[in-house]
Amino acid sequence: MKISKMIYLFFIPGLLLYSIFFIYPTISALFYSFTDWDGLSDAYQFVGTGNYERALTGDTIFRKTVGNNLKFMLVVVILQTIVALAFALIVLKNTKTNLFLRALYFFPTILSSVSVAFIWSFIYDPSLGILNQILELLGLDVLRQNWLGNADIAIYSLAITQVWFHAGQMLIIFVAGLQAIPEDLYEVAKIEGASKWQTFRKVTWPLLAPSATIVIAYTTIQSFKAFDLVFAMTGGGPNNSTQIIATYIFDVAFRSYNFGYASSISVLFMIIIAAITFLQFKALRSDRISY
Amino acid sequence: MISKKNSFTALSLASLLALAGCAGESPDDSGSETDSGSGDGTQISFIHWRGEDKAVFDDIIAQFEDEFPDIDVEMNIYPSEQYQATGQRMLTDGSTGDVFTSFPGAQFEAIASAGFFEDLSGEDFVGNFDENLITVGEKDGQQLALPYQLVFNMPVYNKGMFDELGLEVPKSWTEFQEMADTLLENDIVPIAFPGADIGPNQFMNSMMMNNAPDEDIFTKLQSGEESLTNEWWVKTLEDFQLLEQKGYIQPDALGTSQDSAMAMVANEEAAMLATGSYHMASLLGLNPDLELDLMAPITVEESEAQYEGINTATFMLAVNSKSEKKEQAKEFIRFLSRPEIASQYANETGQHLTVNGVEYESEVLQNTAYWIDERTTRFQPRFLITNAQIEAAVLSSIENVLGGAEPMEAAEEAQQIVDENRE
Repeated sequence: MKISKMIYLFFIPGLLLYSIFFIYPTISALFYSFTDWDGLSDAYQFVGTGNYERALTGDTIFRKTVGNNLKFMLVVVILQTIVALAFALIVLKNTKTNLFLRALYFFPTILSSVSVAFIWSFIYDPSLGILNQILELLGLDVLRQNWLGNADIAIYSLAITQVWFHAGQMLIIFVAGLQAIPEDLYEVAKIEGASKWQTFRKVTWPLLAPSATIVIAYTTIQSFKAFDLVFAMTGGGPNNSTQIIATYIFDVAFRSYNFGYASSISVLFMIIIAAITFLQFKALRSDRISY
Repeated sequence: MISKKNSFTALSLASLLALAGCAGESPDDSGSETDSGSGDGTQISFIHWRGEDKAVFDDIIAQFEDEFPDIDVEMNIYPSEQYQATGQRMLTDGSTGDVFTSFPGAQFEAIASAGFFEDLSGEDFVGNFDENLITVGEKDGQQLALPYQLVFNMPVYNKGMFDELGLEVPKSWTEFQEMADTLLENDIVPIAFPGADIGPNQFMNSMMMNNAPDEDIFTKLQSGEESLTNEWWVKTLEDFQLLEQKGYIQPDALGTSQDSAMAMVANEEAAMLATGSYHMASLLGLNPDLELDLMAPITVEESEAQYEGINTATFMLAVNSKSEKKEQAKEFIRFLSRPEIASQYANETGQHLTVNGVEYESEVLQNTAYWIDERTTRFQPRFLITNAQIEAAVLSSIENVLGGAEPMEAAEEAQQIVDENRE
């Protein structure tokens, strides 16, 4: 069948929007990453690879933000994937109760991040927060923490909030993936005498790999971009212990008025996310199987 | 053309960040707008960050438009964080912010460097302001902005509680510790410190004012002549460590928000709130029976103390140099600087002002007005750090110490960041 050339006209609106809101800003960021532009003045000078050298060799905070982001990502990816999968297995069948539970678990996803930050800042408050109060009621005073004020644990407290915020979204992806697995395979496994764990390991997980790939990749990207939650809950503190790359870019660009340097960090940020996502796809692809 | 191109690129970067989930809402999404004009005059744009002053500004703008029917004022208010981040960019083409406000410090320097301030030096209304309180708006001999509000960034204390316990305002570090010990003996937390938000950036000022009486100390730090590892800052960090170790500030202070700290003082669980005069009205709102005053810790012996407190002239009114309505914009600032209008603003917002001849009616403002003329205060040192990354490093060192690090170790860590960011 011959496709009319007119069909290419339909690409134009989307291409235009994509160019304005993605390609142009990306190219601009790349361009300004080689300058010392302050974001306000007309003038700027080219500094070669100076901004990149500074980020990679002479910026203690940037190195710290990368470390914080990796910690945050690891906790969120592992915990969110496990929690979402576990709950997906629990609410898999389409009963009325399960439909209600799925909606309930999905609910945090529709909240604005500022609302989530507000709720969890209250939960974590060391004196008024309900988390410490519950621990006290249970006689677990020893577990009381300064959840957001202790530099050693603040990033993990934020990670827990992120998991609560987004696990419901991932649960839906897992439910869809699980429901697409043919029932016959479970019947065969049962006839063959496979245990529940063997069934999960040999049937469920391999066939769920495409969904898991999406979940893990999306969670990774999401955890790198958790700007609003971090900004609203800790502002990167205390002592930069929760400063992640996104909040640092904001600080450098909009508080220090160093757009050139912020652009170079943005470019590095894109490279880091792309590299991690690529590695994850490679790793998870090997787990895929079809029967 | 370059300017427009750069502006677009700035917006593009913001778009890129937004797409990447890195940016907040756009100003238009969250700013509060008021246009009380009739629509048939010249419209000027007034932008600022004081959402809590909207009602009084609405009233003042209505009075202005009655008197100047040819000028309409469109007021846009942005959250202060957002204003600090994006305020400057709104000024670039002159269509927004004919009259705008600026924070002192890094934002003032950035706007001045970009050339967005119209020089107000020769204007008659400059004389309506206290000349000693508007120097922060000067640069290179030009009066670029006129600070309107005067706040005291030092602890608010419960005077009634002090009187009951027979305590006097300490005049030295030794007396301060004795006072704090007495409060602890009476099961009262001496200082409620909101370490999760504004605590470090407010309390650092009074904690260091006498440890480093040289007002150029941060200028010297930025130029490399001074170091955070020198005695003035290490001693300040040691003093913070002492407050934490002796329980003079509440446990888990770094996780305590401003609201929680205010609740502690309002409920009389704590005697002092380590923020500033701008919280007095809110504290009285929470507990009208409180009798409040201001008190800064004197961290040296009485004979060595040079300052009694901290002041900040802020909310700096300015005219956008790119504006095509500069005369109308100046007329609005002239109107705001009239003593009767300034008095209305001061009394309805509960703040001291830099304008001459303001009559303070509220008890709190009257009771604390003596800090303007009768006490030796210095301008908030934090605002003299013009590099935001260096400011962040200084504040982080306080958080580091309150988190358990040794003062010298925290100072060295912060100094490394200062060295990396020195221009």
